[in-house]
This record gives sequence, structure tokens and C-alpha cells, in this order.
Amino acid sequence: MIEKQSILEIRHLKKDFGTHQVLKDISFSVFGGDVISIIGSSGSGKSTLLRCINFLEEPTEGTILYRGKDAETLNRAEYHSKVGMVFQSFNLFANMSVLANCTAGQKLVLHRDGKEAEDKALYFLSKVGMDAYRNARPGQLSGGQKQRVAIARALAMDPEVLLFDEPTSALDPEMVGEVLSVMRTLAEGGLTMLVVTHEMSFARDVSSRVIFMDQGVIAEDGDPHEIFTAPKQPRTREFLSRIL
Amino acid sequence: MPTTFWGWVSLLLEKYGPLFWNGTLYTMLIAISGTVIGFIIGLLVAIVRTIPVSPKASIVKRWGMKLISFLLNVYIEVFRGTPMIVQAMVIYYGAMMYLGLRMQALGAAIFIISINTGAYMAEIVRGGIISVDKGQKEAAHAIGMTHWQSMLHVVLPQAVRNIMPSIGNEFVVNIKDSSVLNVISVSELFFIGKSAAGTYARYFEAFFIIAAIYFVLTFTVTRLLRLLEKKMDGGRNYTICGSQSDSEATITIHPEGDVPND
Repeated sequence: MIEKQSILEIRHLKKDFGTHQVLKDISFSVFGGDVISIIGSSGSGKSTLLRCINFLEEPTEGTILYRGKDAETLNRAEYHSKVGMVFQSFNLFANMSVLANCTAGQKLVLHRDGKEAEDKALYFLSKVGMDAYRNARPGQLSGGQKQRVAIARALAMDPEVLLFDEPTSALDPEMVGEVLSVMRTLAEGGLTMLVVTHEMSFARDVSSRVIFMDQGVIAEDGDPHEIFTAPKQPRTREFLSRIL
Repeated sequence: MPTTFWGWVSLLLEKYGPLFWNGTLYTMLIAISGTVIGFIIGLLVAIVRTIPVSPKASIVKRWGMKLISFLLNVYIEVFRGTPMIVQAMVIYYGAMMYLGLRMQALGAAIFIISINTGAYMAEIVRGGIISVDKGQKEAAHAIGMTHWQSMLHVVLPQAVRNIMPSIGNEFVVNIKDSSVLNVISVSELFFIGKSAAGTYARYFEAFFIIAAIYFVLTFTVTRLLRLLEKKMDGGRNYTICGSQSDSEATITIHPEGDVPND
């Protein structure tokens, strides 16, 4: 039997902050085309997990394999360009225009020339409906617009996996929709995504797999339909009853 | 001999006009170079002090960084903790007596004011770096930028904008405090003032002129810096390019068989 190779494989990941264990032995694999929603209550370690995968936090123990190779031994810049990240607070470079936000990484990290980087940036900016705002500064945009630019910026690096850390949590309610619809298009386009979210409708309807985290461990991992209609674990059931 | 205040002022201006002008040039030259070089020193010191050292790094690297960081702290504390007029005496005469180095007064003045300003600037730049949201650096790292790239392209441009008022302050302070360098006989404004006053023993009139020149210099510089800050902030408006595409438009999904006939 030929096994499909995973893009990312997390093996026994642990993370402590001092004496506080935030992640206790997390293992799972991400395959091409997966749209995985990570749900769970605040403090369950969801965001820390994403930040560890992207090495914004150094894991205390465990390994992260990228296409079978230990990610820690890989060139960081190369790994980061393959595994992109979208933040809760957007984090657009405040000193750059929308367009420059989307070209800076391409030029500095991927060494693309100006024209190529610009074409690519404009392509993705138009995908998220923000190409008209290319000359604007981040401070002049609404939250939803900023997040769409942040998504375009991440996409312009041609990542294989995109990590979303609560991408809609900092948005006003009326702007959540515009960002979710962009994410929905990406999912339908076949992009591999790992989404930490409190948007249960997204988790249920868009993702191909749901991971429920509780107190630093994966409590349940499976098909969204199953998890939302017939959760196996009592704590999943309890969480869903509180949130739905 | 003049009998009125204004009479003396105009006499001094007439006699020493070119000298006052030269003094002004020296003062500005010392203040500008001191601020620029000091700023560069401050930037470098601050960048070095913010290099992240992973606890997993080799012992040589960790101790090396600790040592560098310690030396930089010593530099900052010593130069912030002693008056510039004393630093000038120690450096100028120390170099002469123990290194046999007879520094040119202007060169020595620029050197002293630069390292003095550098110590203050290091702390100002450090404050500026801290003031930039942590997320900016994280986003830079998340798309693969190195420490230097993220500092150079993302963090420092924002930090420098934030500390422009403090840099301006340092500049103004340097224009005024370069006067203490008269102790090493550099012919800046204060030194010229002393010479001009001495001839006729008209201290009040001579230093009145000097005060007026200092004020015009600092006032002009403050205004110019405000303009520069405004320019750095960029326009308040931006132009929308082409048609405004709507994210909804690109993702409308038509159910099968329901293709819109255009």
C-alpha cells in the first residue's frame, strides 16, 4: 500500500511556559488539500499549537516534519515561505502600502524581481477584492480589509500550507463574513489550511476535518459532520453544547 | 564709542559679523554631525542589543553576546553618567598626554559629541523598537524574513518614525550643548562670543547676539523637523486604482445549470 505523504507531521509536540504545560503531547498529520479547523475553548492551546508549527514559539519537545524532513533542520526562511500564517491582529506592516506588504516577502525572501512580485501581489489582491486599495496604508483600512490583505500577503509567497490564527476574532461582526468568504474560496480552491477558529459554521461546513483541543491535548479528531452531530467525547459534547 | 545698547550691538556685528557667521557654521557642523553619527551609533547599539539569542545556541555565542551586551551597557552608562564638558577634557587632554595625539579641535569636538549622543540615542532607539508592536516582527518572521531583514525593513522604519521627536530633541540639545566644547578651543558660537566680548568688555551685548543666533537656529530646526515628520507620515488620502472589485464578486458560486445568461 502506498501511503500518501503528509505535508506536515506533528510528533509528540510539547510546549511549556515555565511550569505551565500548554501543549501536552500533540501528534497529527496534515495532508495536501486538508482544511482542518482547530476548535476548543480559550486556553486549550490552539493558538500556541499554530505558533509552534510556525516556530514563533520554540517547541519544548517533539518534532515537526515538513514533507518527511525535520523542520528544525531546514532553512527557516524556506520553511516559513512554505508554511504561511495569518494572524488574529492582521499584523500588516504599518510602514508599507498594501502593495508593498504583499511584495516585501517575495523580494527579500524568495528573491523575485520587482515586476514578478508585483504581478503576483496584484493577482492575489484582486482575488481577495483589495487590488483597488494597493496604494493605501494599513491604517486607512477597515479590519476586514486588513485581514484580506494579510491573506493576499501570505498567498503571494506560494505557501503549501496556510495557518490561520483566529482570523476573524478581532473583527466587527459585519466584517467577519467578507473574510470567511475569502477563506471559503481558498478551501474550495484546494489550499491546505489549518484554521484555529471560533466560527463553528466554518468548522462544520467548510473544513474537511475538525480537531477539538482541550487542556493541551487533542481530545477529538475527525470528520466535521460526525463531531458536530455525534461527538464521541463527553468534553466535546459539553463544549459544543456551550457554544452552539 | 557707542553709548546705547543697540549701538554696541551694531558695532559688534559690524566688527565680528564674519566671525559670528563662522561660529554659527561650526556650531551647526558639530551639532549635525554629532546627531547623525550619534544616531548611527545608537541604531547599531540598539540592533545588536536586540539580537535574539536562542537558549539552544552554542555556549560561545551565548557568552559572546553577553559580553558584548555588557560592554555596550558600560558605554551607555559612562557617557550618560558624566557631563560632556568633562568628557571633552578627559578625551582631549588624555589623548594628548598619554597617546601623544594632538587632535584637531573640530575633529575632537565632533568625536566627543558623537559618542556622547550615541549613548543617549542607543536608549532612544531601544525605546522606539519596544514601541513597535510585537506582531510586526512576528509577521516578518512568518513570511521568512531574517532578524536583520525584519529589523531593517519593518521594525526600524516604524521605530525611527516614533522616535523622531526625541531625535529632534537631541539635535536641539546638541546645538546648544556644543557650547561646552569651547573648553577645547573649538571656535563654535560660544567661543566666538567670548572673543568678541573680550575686546571691548561688552559681555552683555556680545552674548545677547549669541543667544539670538542660538534661538534662531533651534527654532528653525524644530520647525523643519515637524515638517519632516509630517512628510514621513505620508498623505492622509490614497487613490483607488481601477475599478473596485468586490471580494463577493469573485466567489459567487452558481448552482449547476444556473449559469447566468449575459
